[in-house]
Amino acid sequence: MNPIIEFNNVGKTYPQEKNAAIHEVSFAVNEGEFVCFIGASGSGKTTTLKLIAGLEEPSAGTIKRPEIVAMTFQSGALFPWLTVFENAALGLRQKGIAGEHLAREVDKRLRMVGIFDFREKYPSELSGGQRQRVGIARALAVDPAVLLLDEPFSALDAKTTAELHDDVIKIWRETGKTIVIVSHLIEEAVSLAGRVVLFRDGTIDTIYPIDLPYPRREQAEGFMRETERIRRAFFK
Amino acid sequence: MHHRASAARHTHHTQVLSYPITLPQRLYTLVLGPLVIFTLTYIIVHAYPFIAPPSGEEISFGDIALASFYTCARLAAAYALAVIVAIPLAILATINPTAEEFLLPVFDILESIPILALFPIIIMLFINFDFLNGAAIFILFLSMLWNLVFTLVGGLKIIPKDIYYAAHVFGIRGLDLVRRVILPALVPQLVTGSILAVAQGWNLIIVAEVLHTYIPGGTSAQDLFGVGSILVDASAHAQQGVFVGAVFMMVILIGLLNFFVWQKLLHLAQRFRFE
Repeated sequence: MNPIIEFNNVGKTYPQEKNAAIHEVSFAVNEGEFVCFIGASGSGKTTTLKLIAGLEEPSAGTIKRPEIVAMTFQSGALFPWLTVFENAALGLRQKGIAGEHLAREVDKRLRMVGIFDFREKYPSELSGGQRQRVGIARALAVDPAVLLLDEPFSALDAKTTAELHDDVIKIWRETGKTIVIVSHLIEEAVSLAGRVVLFRDGTIDTIYPIDLPYPRREQAEGFMRETERIRRAFFK
Repeated sequence: MHHRASAARHTHHTQVLSYPITLPQRLYTLVLGPLVIFTLTYIIVHAYPFIAPPSGEEISFGDIALASFYTCARLAAAYALAVIVAIPLAILATINPTAEEFLLPVFDILESIPILALFPIIIMLFINFDFLNGAAIFILFLSMLWNLVFTLVGGLKIIPKDIYYAAHVFGIRGLDLVRRVILPALVPQLVTGSILAVAQGWNLIIVAEVLHTYIPGGTSAQDLFGVGSILVDASAHAQQGVFVGAVFMMVILIGLLNFFVWQKLLHLAQRFRFE
């Protein structure tokens, strides 16, 4: 196993905050792994994700992370004045890629997430699920070593969420990307991840390996057992 | 804090002006608005006996049109200058909490200084360079600046944090961040602020063009040729036709500006708005 992300005793205290957002966080994510961070609000999962993304710098400890990391956001964080295509092309344009190469790369990702037909639309013309798909296409377009998903499904209805779960698993299997997702739903974590990292009070409480075959359905054998195991620790 | 109130006030303006433009609103802008103002002006001019009948020295409608062109050029120059200065000031004031804490109160104080109190000093400054147009443009610029700055500060504060995060993740930083994220994100507030700023400019145009009242021993020869100075001159010399013509021209100009520029820009700005 080749660790692509490594945290060693990492702490983060925001300026003008008395308590640390996270402290003594140590873990590693291997290349090609699908990891889910769960925990209550303020438990430190999103701060940890931001540290992986390079959006924050640690106050203590060391972090090893790859150079190209892409991220999607709960809100979608699409630029309303850009079309779907231009939003997805954002990172590549910034790298100086243009013309046919850009169009080919972006269109490939838009097709992968099933949003190609909407490439000329603006974000305001899309549903919440479609916006998340654009966000994923935008992240995949830069060919990141790690894809970070910050509560991407929390504002979506159950049907759209289930469809997106399947699509994210499909993308993960097709691309072999390392994926780290933040969620507050235990069922979602068990549906998607190979390992579930439970955060509590700013540090890692327990890491649960989930050894179930995909696609994981709630009715499948073992699903409820894994969910209950994590739930008991979550509400401890 | 007053600056927070200012930002909130301008944000409120933005929200009020952001509703879709309906046909009745368009009709009001193009037809009813100018008609009401013109009718009221006409009634006032004819109803009050203190305005004497026209004297012999009238100027043509062509002259008024030319004067309007000069006035618009001054307003445009002042507006362009105000935009160029306001955008960096607003960005600077919100770049981090320390800058905000220091700069916004300073802006509040500067905003609260009555512009007209500065006018004599500004004129004396520009008169040394024999550039009286500069004095007018500068006073118009000052009258527009703070409306724009506080509206833009309000706009910068409502850009979602996730947008900055997304920009950072995809390598958009520094000037690229300004060009590709901040400026487009500010379009709705820039349009709203511009409407308020230019309206403020029209309010001050009479003062800005009639310079001689602020120059010790000044004469009307030092006034700038424009629709504002024509209005004052026509009033002083009881040139009723010229007065009404100048008001009419201003109403038409403001109406056209509203219909062909601001309404279109407000509509366009919808695309740049965060939900």
